[in-house]
Amino acid sequence: MSLKGFRRIFKPLEILSDEQVEDIKRGVLAVLQNTGMRFESEMALKLFQKHECMVDFDAMKVRFPPGLVEECLRKTPSSFYFKSRNPAHDLIVGGNTTYFCAFPGMNTVELDTWEPRRATRQENREALIVLDALDNLHFLTPYTPYFGFDDIPPVLSIPESAAAKIRYSTKLQFSGYQKDCEVYTIEMARVADTEIQGMMESSPPLTYYGDAVMSAYRFANAGLPLHITSGAVMGGTSPATVAGTLVTSVAEIVGGIVFTQLVKPGTRVVANAFVFPQNMMTGVPFFGSVGISLHEAAFNQIWRSYNIPVQSSAIGPTNSKGIDYQNCYEKAIPALVAALSGAHIIQFHGGVYGEITHHPVQSIMDDDVAGVIGRLIEGIDVSDQTLALDLINEIGPIPGFYLNTAHTRAWWKKEQFVPKVADLLPYGQWQKEGKKTALDRAKERMNEILQTHRPVALSDEQEKEIQRIIDKAQSDYAKKGLL
Amino acid sequence: MAEEKKDILDNLKKAVFEYDRQLAARSAVEAVEKGIDPIEAMNVMTAAIREIGQAFGKGELWLPELVGASDAMQGATPILEEEMERKGRHRESLGMVVAGTVFGDIHSIGKTMVTTLLTAAGFHIEDLGINVKAEEFSAAVKKHDADLLVMSALMTTTMTEQEKVIEALNKEGTREKVKVMVGGAAVTDEFAESIGADGYDPTAPGAAELARRLLAV
Repeated sequence: MSLKGFRRIFKPLEILSDEQVEDIKRGVLAVLQNTGMRFESEMALKLFQKHECMVDFDAMKVRFPPGLVEECLRKTPSSFYFKSRNPAHDLIVGGNTTYFCAFPGMNTVELDTWEPRRATRQENREALIVLDALDNLHFLTPYTPYFGFDDIPPVLSIPESAAAKIRYSTKLQFSGYQKDCEVYTIEMARVADTEIQGMMESSPPLTYYGDAVMSAYRFANAGLPLHITSGAVMGGTSPATVAGTLVTSVAEIVGGIVFTQLVKPGTRVVANAFVFPQNMMTGVPFFGSVGISLHEAAFNQIWRSYNIPVQSSAIGPTNSKGIDYQNCYEKAIPALVAALSGAHIIQFHGGVYGEITHHPVQSIMDDDVAGVIGRLIEGIDVSDQTLALDLINEIGPIPGFYLNTAHTRAWWKKEQFVPKVADLLPYGQWQKEGKKTALDRAKERMNEILQTHRPVALSDEQEKEIQRIIDKAQSDYAKKGLL
Repeated sequence: MAEEKKDILDNLKKAVFEYDRQLAARSAVEAVEKGIDPIEAMNVMTAAIREIGQAFGKGELWLPELVGASDAMQGATPILEEEMERKGRHRESLGMVVAGTVFGDIHSIGKTMVTTLLTAAGFHIEDLGINVKAEEFSAAVKKHDADLLVMSALMTTTMTEQEKVIEALNKEGTREKVKVMVGGAAVTDEFAESIGADGYDPTAPGAAELARRLLAV
């Protein structure tokens, strides 16, 4: 049995007309055919050449014939099963289902001063246990939750992070790459009897570095799914216009899809937008901005026409340094747009500022927002039971009252979503109970989860194997002089 | 007979937990017919309501369940009380409570929450309903020799009606004999004090605790 996710029952938001979708898709094919992409991998370039692409080995550029592009898009599954070591956490990615996913941070953040600092190993573990416990969080993320913790050397951060995710959660994860570390994470997936989703991230404009190509090659060959990401920044690494950025971001991902389908036809892929406008005041991405929502709505619509699952990742981070009003609207609005426009995975929980900070208290509060959005896209049930004509007739006008009816008891909870940590109290009760804010209540819930929630543990044998792989990674990197 | 009695008492309990007024009424009639002690039958339901009230206080159950359980119990209560009266029996309780929503106000939810939890705590309730005039409150306090009067007013426009009820008690000469609790969304401690009430609590579980404190039971 897989996790349910949220199933949208109405037509998705369509921000583009059919003509606009076709114009952008024609632009994508034109860019891939005429401008081409840079793949910094001789192996990839040889593979493209073998399949009748035009390859310039000196410039590491490849130009794709439209027929090959369309063939590879057709070979990509429209939905797929994704297996966890705990069957209750399996996912079926695609269709009308939306899942929520965690967003990482380099550091944790102090909840009183909002200053960032490096997390400890214990804080990393606790953040994972919280994510494992949350009802509306279906998917862990690369580097979850922290890019590094304690004094782990940077080169070991991804293997250590992947190991922690496997140890403290059975929710599915995707895993990053650097210095060939995917070799170790793929091996961890095998010994833990779970799947891990690999990553292939473009380096805009229109480029894949060798490590991204190699990561995709290894994951595809291992029969594991991949998400292929464009991280374009509008006005910096892509055109300042949403339409122009849609052309380059989609083209970058399509180029990655062609590669994976040539490596192994039928490889499971999610197209992922990690696209922001450039913040021209500071030079960092413009987190939480309307440009993110505009791009993701159109991006989701375009990928629906390709019939390939889609992920919205630019939603997780905000400009705010703390958990406040700005933080909430910068996350909630793009998340809502993503869900309404058909995103299959929304990367949301836990991110505070940029990719700089993550906190489990934020994850807990985000889980309420995810519940509200999820309930919204599940729409309105119109049936004899919900229309309740017999009941309306029975209750009649005043003094008729619906509170004390079996219908109310049966339906009110199904119809509503009740947030777990929002302050829902009337004034008097709020004063009496210590004037707690949602943030206070989220801190309490974090403590409660840590005291009560126990993730499904690895077997002793699996634990031994995971540690062996970490030790092997350490030893290999030491031999290469990277430690 | 013992098994039959157990089945009937179990059904009374089940009626509260399953919000089934018909089952409660039917089981109460059966209890009377089989000569089961009506006080024992009432106690079974009171215990069940207490569990529901506790779950409500912890946020495990919600208002529709609380009201449903209370309504189920109301299906059986008049039948069992009539039997008690016929047998000349009196149920021990923490005190006699007259409750109602004040004149001009038809909001019953807060009042129902409080009376349900007072029932669960072991008080005997005379619920006058909604839109109750000051004189009706006063007359009921006198008639039932009430220990406690609880009244509710949701709106700012009707909360002043609570003061009129206290004036009516003063006029009737019963104010000194009865404790008065007020409640409602707009009510505050300051307001309660200003009209001469004995207490106010913003929550239904808190109101039940306050009732016990005021009557020292």
